[in-house]
Amino acid sequence: MRRAIASLLHTLRCYPQRCLVSLLLLICALPALAQNGVDYATQTVRIALTGEPRNLNSIRATDQFSIFFLEHSMEGLLRRDAHFELVGGVAERWEMEGTTARFWLRHDALWSDGVAVTAQDFVFAWRQVVNPDVASEYASIMYPVKNAEAINQGKLPLEALGVTALDDYTLEVQLEAPTGYFLTLMSFMVYYPVREDFYLAQNGRYFADVKNMIFNGPFKITSWVHGASLRMEKNLTYWDAANITLNVIDIPYITNDSRARFNLLKEGKLAIENGLQGLEAEQLRDALANRMRIRSHSDGGLFYIEFNHRPERITHNMNLRKAMQAVLDSQELVYKAIGIAGYIPGQSLIPTYMNGVHDKFRVEYPVQMAPLDPVKAREYLALAKQELGIDKIPPIAILCDDREVAIVAAQYLQSLFKRTLDLDIKVDVQTFKLRLDKAHNGSFDMAVYAWAPDYDDPITFADLFASWNANNNGRYSNPVYDAYVRTVQGTDNQQIRMDAIGKIQQLVIDEAIILPLYERTANTVQDPRLEGVVFSQLGAGMSLTYARVVQ
Amino acid sequence: MSLVPSELSSKLSIAVSAADFAPAPHQAQRERIVRPSLSYWQDVWQRLCKNRRALSSLYIVIALLVFTLVGPWLWTQAPALQDLDAISQGPSWSSSSALVVEDPGTWPGVQGALRPREEADGQTLGATASLAVAGLPSTQYVRLYWEAVNGAQHYLIYRNDHAPESNQDLGLPLGATLTPDTLSFEDRLQLRPQTYWYSVIASDGFEEAALSTTAAITLQRAITASQARERGLDDTLGAAVALPAHPFGTDYLGRDLLARVMEGARVSLFIGIVAPLLFVSLGIIYGGIAGYFGGNLDILMMRVVDFVIALPFLLFMILFRIGFGIGPGESGIIPMLLALVLLSWPDTARLIRGQILQIRGEAYVQAARVLGAHPLYLIFRHLVPNTLGPILVTLTFAIPMAIFTEAFLSFIGMGVSPPTSSWGSLSNEGIRTMLSSPHELLFPAFFISLTVLAFNLLGDGLRDALDSRLRSRE
Repeated sequence: MRRAIASLLHTLRCYPQRCLVSLLLLICALPALAQNGVDYATQTVRIALTGEPRNLNSIRATDQFSIFFLEHSMEGLLRRDAHFELVGGVAERWEMEGTTARFWLRHDALWSDGVAVTAQDFVFAWRQVVNPDVASEYASIMYPVKNAEAINQGKLPLEALGVTALDDYTLEVQLEAPTGYFLTLMSFMVYYPVREDFYLAQNGRYFADVKNMIFNGPFKITSWVHGASLRMEKNLTYWDAANITLNVIDIPYITNDSRARFNLLKEGKLAIENGLQGLEAEQLRDALANRMRIRSHSDGGLFYIEFNHRPERITHNMNLRKAMQAVLDSQELVYKAIGIAGYIPGQSLIPTYMNGVHDKFRVEYPVQMAPLDPVKAREYLALAKQELGIDKIPPIAILCDDREVAIVAAQYLQSLFKRTLDLDIKVDVQTFKLRLDKAHNGSFDMAVYAWAPDYDDPITFADLFASWNANNNGRYSNPVYDAYVRTVQGTDNQQIRMDAIGKIQQLVIDEAIILPLYERTANTVQDPRLEGVVFSQLGAGMSLTYARVVQ
Repeated sequence: MSLVPSELSSKLSIAVSAADFAPAPHQAQRERIVRPSLSYWQDVWQRLCKNRRALSSLYIVIALLVFTLVGPWLWTQAPALQDLDAISQGPSWSSSSALVVEDPGTWPGVQGALRPREEADGQTLGATASLAVAGLPSTQYVRLYWEAVNGAQHYLIYRNDHAPESNQDLGLPLGATLTPDTLSFEDRLQLRPQTYWYSVIASDGFEEAALSTTAAITLQRAITASQARERGLDDTLGAAVALPAHPFGTDYLGRDLLARVMEGARVSLFIGIVAPLLFVSLGIIYGGIAGYFGGNLDILMMRVVDFVIALPFLLFMILFRIGFGIGPGESGIIPMLLALVLLSWPDTARLIRGQILQIRGEAYVQAARVLGAHPLYLIFRHLVPNTLGPILVTLTFAIPMAIFTEAFLSFIGMGVSPPTSSWGSLSNEGIRTMLSSPHELLFPAFFISLTVLAFNLLGDGLRDALDSRLRSRE
C-alpha cells in the first residue's frame, strides 16, 4: 500500500501534466459510465420522456405517459406479448359465449406485496371506473359491460354492474350486448385490477406517489421525483418474471427540449429517442447527418382540430367550421409546414391502419372529402356571420401544446385562416398537462388535439363524439351521431357495425365536427444493443417489457 | 519747503493739452475673447465627439432607428407571410428563379400486376430492377416508380441527402405503399433544389429485403401553377419565374427574416425607449421630492423605495398579465411596459435623491434660498439642470436593460404573441433550428447584441463627457 502511494506520488511529481489529463478524463468519464443509455451487465435501459404522467391511478388515467407506466407495471386479465398478440395475463384461460365471458385467474398472480390477485380486485376496480363519484374519463370504455352506462349516469347502484367473482379465481362478466372486441379491452388499463383494502388505505392518494403504489405487472415504479425523473425496476413477484430480461427502466430525464434529448442520445446516455412521440424535424436532420439508422412506425395518434361545440362558443356554428374545412389542405400542412417523414395527411376520423370487415376500413369505406374551395369557404363564412348576426368574427383562440409540431401546425392554421378567410386566430400555447386540463374543462375555441386508439376496433375513434363520452371535450351532441354509435355497440355483426362507422366518418366530414390534420408516424433512433422493443398503435405505443440489452 | 504748483509744472515740464482729456476712442478689439465661448452642453458634445466609440455608437443607434422606422417602407415583404416552399432558407441577396409545374395530386401513379412469390423458389426477396422518375423531378414533387418484385407485399421508400453506404443508412423513411400492386410513390416532403438518393426496398409484410435499389435524383426549384397564379406570376407550365430574395434568409415557416427582424425591432425599441423614459421620469420626480424636502418625508419615501426594490419583477409581470385580462395568445407588451415602469424606477429615484441632497447643500443654492427663491425656481433653475448628467447616463443604461428584458420575456413566451415578432421571440424560434439553419438565431441575436452594446457604449461616453471633474483635468 505504502509502495503504491509512493509510486503514485512519484508519478505525480514527474508527470504532473499527464496526471492532470488522466484525472480530467476520469472526472469526465465517471458520470458517463454511470449513465449509459443501455447497460448489458445490469440490463438497464435509460430513456427520456417529454412529460410526466398526469395521473397514474389506472381507474382515472388518460394520458400517454400514464399509460406507458401502467402498461409496464400492471397487468389485466389479458396482455400483449412480444409479438403484440393477445395472450393470457392474470387470466389463465377464458371463455366467451354471447353476452357472457368467464375468466379463470392463475393462482400465481401476485401483488408486489405478495398477496394474490383475486377476482374481487377486478370487480372492485371495474365498479370504481363506472362510479359516477369517481368520474373516470374512460368510464365509457366500460360500457360494453352490463349496466355500466346506467351506473355511470347514477341510475343504478354500483353492485348492479355485470361483473361477479364466482370465487377468488373465477370472474364472470355479463355484457350489455355481444361485443366482438371485448377481449381486446382486457389489456387496457381501466380493466386492470385494483385491490380494495390497499386503495381505501391510501385516502384518495392511490398511485399519487411511490409509497401509494402496488403492482401486479412485470415492473414496479421505485422512484418518482415529480417533474424530474422516474425509475422502474423488475417486479420479482410477477408470475412471469422469468421471461422478463430487463432489470431497470430508468427515466432520468423529463424534458420537452428535443435538442437536449437528442444530444443525450448521441452521447450514448439514452437507449432510444423518441419512442413515444417520434423525433422532430430538426433531430431527424441531425440523425440523417450522423448516418444513424432511422426506424419509423405508426404510433396510432390521429391529430385533429377539435372544436368547442358548446352553444356559447362561436365554433358552435357549423358554417364557420365548414368554412375552415374548405380551406384547410392537410397535405400542404404535413408535407410543407411540418415536414416530418412518414406523417400521413389526415382525411378522416378513422385512421388508415384501422381494420374494417375484411380489409382496411378506409379501403372499404373511402373518405368523401369536402373539396378545397376558397370561394365556397367565403360563402360559408358569410352564412356563418349572418346566422350569428355579426359583421366580423371575433378572434378565435387555438389551443395547442408546446411541442414544435403543434406550434408549427397552429401557426400554419393561424396564417392560413387569416389569409383565406380574414379570421383572427390567437395561438394559445400551453404545456402538455395544461393543454389537457384546458381541453377537458372546455376552455378553448379550437384545440390541436390527438387521439390514439385504446383497442383494435374503429369504434375507439368513432365513439369519441358520442354525447356521453367524457373525452368529447367540445361537448358535441347530436342524436344522429349517438344513434350510430349505439348501433355499433349493440351488435357484433361486423357488416352492420362498419356500415354505421362509415356513416359516422361521413357525418364528421359533413358537419365538420373536427378537422383531421395528420396521422402521426414516430421516427426513432435507438442504441443498436437494444432489442425487442415493441411498437404499436395501441396504448402508449412503445413497450419495453420484452426488451433486452445485447452485447 | 512748500512747492507751489507752478514750480512743479515748470519742473516736470509736461505739456498737457486739452486733447488729453477727451474720451479715448472705443476699441472693440481690446477685450476680444480669442477662443469661442463654450456652454456646458457644447463642451459635452465636443468631448463626446472626441470619443470615437461613443460617436460610432450614436451612429449605430441612429441607423437602428432608421432601420426600424424607414425599413418597412423600403422592404415591403409582409413579416407574417408564409412561403412554405422556402422554409429555413439561408441568406441570399439574389432572387432565385423557379419553374412553373402542374399542381400535385394529378398523378395517377403506376399500378403493376401482382407478382406473387413462386412457391418453389424459397429465395429471399430481391431488389427492384429499376427505379425511375416520371416527369421532371422538382421541389414540388418527385414521382418515383419501379418494377415489381416477386413476393413483395409492399415497398418502403427512403430518401437520403448523401449516397447511402449500406441498408442501415438509407435515410429518412418516407413511407410505405399500402398495396402490393402500387409501384409508385410521390414524394412532396420539404424538397430542396439539391440531389437526393432515393431507395426502394421490398417487404413481404414481415421483413424487409436485404437489397435495395437506390437512384440519385437532382431536383429543380419549382412552384406550382396555382401558387404562381396566387402570387400574380406567369402561370404557364414550364415558364421560369423569379422568386423574391431573402437577404436574411427565411424562418421555419418560410417567413422573410429581414421583414421579421424589422418588425421585431419596433417592439424591442418601443419597449426599450418608452419604458426607460417613463420610469426615469418617475424616478426623477420621486427622488427630487424626497431629496429636496428631506427629513421625515425623505425617510418615509426611501422606505417605500426599499419596498419596491424587493418586489420580484417576473411575478408582477405575470400578475399584471392576469390583472389586465390578457388572454392566452394575446400580446403581453402593455403589462410588460407597466411592470417595467412600476418596478424599475427606484434606482433612478435613489440616484436623483442623492444628487439633490448634495446640490441642496451647495452655497449657491443656500444663497438663492436666503434671497427668498421659490422652491420651484430652485428645483428647476439649480437642482434639475445640475442632475441632468446622471439622468442622461441612467437613461442610456436603462435602455439596453429594457431591451434585454423584453427580449428575455419574449424568449420565454411572455411577450408578443404570434405571428408578431420581437427580437426575443425570434431568437426563441431560431434556437430550435440552431444547428441546421443558424441564421434564424444569428440575425435577431446580432441585433439584440448590437443595440445593447451601442446603447451601453453611448452611455459610457456620455458619462465621461458629462463629468465636470474630467473636464478640468484636460
